[in-house]
Amino acid sequence: MSENPPIRLKDLGVSFDLRRSKRRVRRQVAGKTERLDEQGRFWALRHISLTVESGESLAVIGANGAGKSTLLKTLAGIIVPDEGTIEVRGSIATLLQLAAGFRDELDAEENILLVGEFLGVPSSEMKKKTQEILDFAAIGDFADSPVSTYSSGMRARLGFAVATSVEPDVLLLDEVLSTGDAAFREKSRARIVELKNRAKAIVYVTHDLDSAETFCTRAIELENGQIVAYGPSSEVVGRYKERALSNK
Amino acid sequence: MSIHSSELTVGRPRRGALGGIAESIHALAKRRRLVWYLANSSLRSKGSESVLGNAWLVIDPALQLLIYYLLVGVILRRPEPAFPLFLFAAILPWRWFTQAVSSSTESVRKMGKVMQQIVFPQIVLPVAAIGASLGSFVFGLIPLLFLYVIYPDRITAWILALPLVMIVQLLWTLPLAIILSAVNVFYNDIGNLVKHFLRLAFYLSPALFSYDKLLKAAESYPIVVQILHLNPMAWILIAYRDLLYHGRSPDWFGLAIVAAASLPFTLLSLYVFNRLSPKFAKVL
Repeated sequence: MSENPPIRLKDLGVSFDLRRSKRRVRRQVAGKTERLDEQGRFWALRHISLTVESGESLAVIGANGAGKSTLLKTLAGIIVPDEGTIEVRGSIATLLQLAAGFRDELDAEENILLVGEFLGVPSSEMKKKTQEILDFAAIGDFADSPVSTYSSGMRARLGFAVATSVEPDVLLLDEVLSTGDAAFREKSRARIVELKNRAKAIVYVTHDLDSAETFCTRAIELENGQIVAYGPSSEVVGRYKERALSNK
Repeated sequence: MSIHSSELTVGRPRRGALGGIAESIHALAKRRRLVWYLANSSLRSKGSESVLGNAWLVIDPALQLLIYYLLVGVILRRPEPAFPLFLFAAILPWRWFTQAVSSSTESVRKMGKVMQQIVFPQIVLPVAAIGASLGSFVFGLIPLLFLYVIYPDRITAWILALPLVMIVQLLWTLPLAIILSAVNVFYNDIGNLVKHFLRLAFYLSPALFSYDKLLKAAESYPIVVQILHLNPMAWILIAYRDLLYHGRSPDWFGLAIVAAASLPFTLLSLYVFNRLSPKFAKVL
């Protein structure tokens, strides 16, 4: 084990104060009383200890509401944990949802610079990448029009192209491979593989068990906010599949 | 990117109060372009999808002046000499203040979706909202210049001191904007209350009437007079009117005290924002 792995979590816990949360969240957790503590806090994740070594890619599988997205957001630094420690080293790129941070009244190029600023990439660097991003997203003649005039596919393509234009040490993916038409899906898959090869660590949240198995070296299964299985992806996914079948 | 691959990016230990404040100021300096882009785009969003477009940046304050002129000048018959200029010299900065406070109050909440996906120093959001309203203020100076064409004898070199008074106003807008933007994430009621509070404060400020008349009206209620004196915006509006309407030197000493008094509030607001911001993503 290396001394400073890209990702290391120790006994991590993330809880939500339900009184402060939106109704949407409250509905999701209704009935999951085993994850509430005495104070009425809902533990989306608890007792998570995990290390992702350099060169590893980790698939995160589990049922809806198991805590997968919360884990990804915590790794990205969006959510601050309430318990335990988290260490993520190096630059991070997150592909959670596409077209995050776009402003409708700005055109493609301005939005590229804006999102670059959100991500903390200097605009001089972003300007150099602009043409490449526009080409990849195949925006064509619309580059000078405000993104409010774009189709949803164009927005998603532009969002994907911007988000993958950086070269991260740690890549966090939340099922974004299914963007746009067939041709773009193929292109985006190739781009992600390219990023994956350069990044030091990847965490990939998915429901697509086959891609979890082929895309990642290791896997964890989350259930009710805890890790219930950890190991080589083929083993974890294999057992998960078996159980899913026997439960039917 | 400039981040070294072994550098800790998530999970850095929390800084103390002063360290946190220093970090916010550093983040603002580093992300000044983000502030600029956000301010710029929200300024432009007002004109988008309208026939007159960005001309609204000038038309809007002009119409507001017209309405108050009709209301106070013609109906209530309270005119001072050169009344449109008298009004505009105070209404314009007040408009900046209300726009800054109300838009920054909503600024963090509005960006909830982005905060669920990208990590960035959220302190830029209220500051960008102030920036956008400052832009709108600057465009409002165009109808003001037009008024000087009607009252050419009112224009003096004191108008050049305008940026100094603007800085004092900025110093007071900043802490209010920062605190309200953070608290409003948890209690949306704040945004609704702020609107009414601002309206009340407007009538308690010497925006529509001269300060002397306001003090006279409140004579029999000493508490109201005290409140009027404690209102930093009253001092600031009087200074604007001195520069733009009377063409004379404002009370620089008073302004300096008003400016200095804002400092502890600014530090406090940054501290509160730092304490609350880690919880934003969970609530939005």
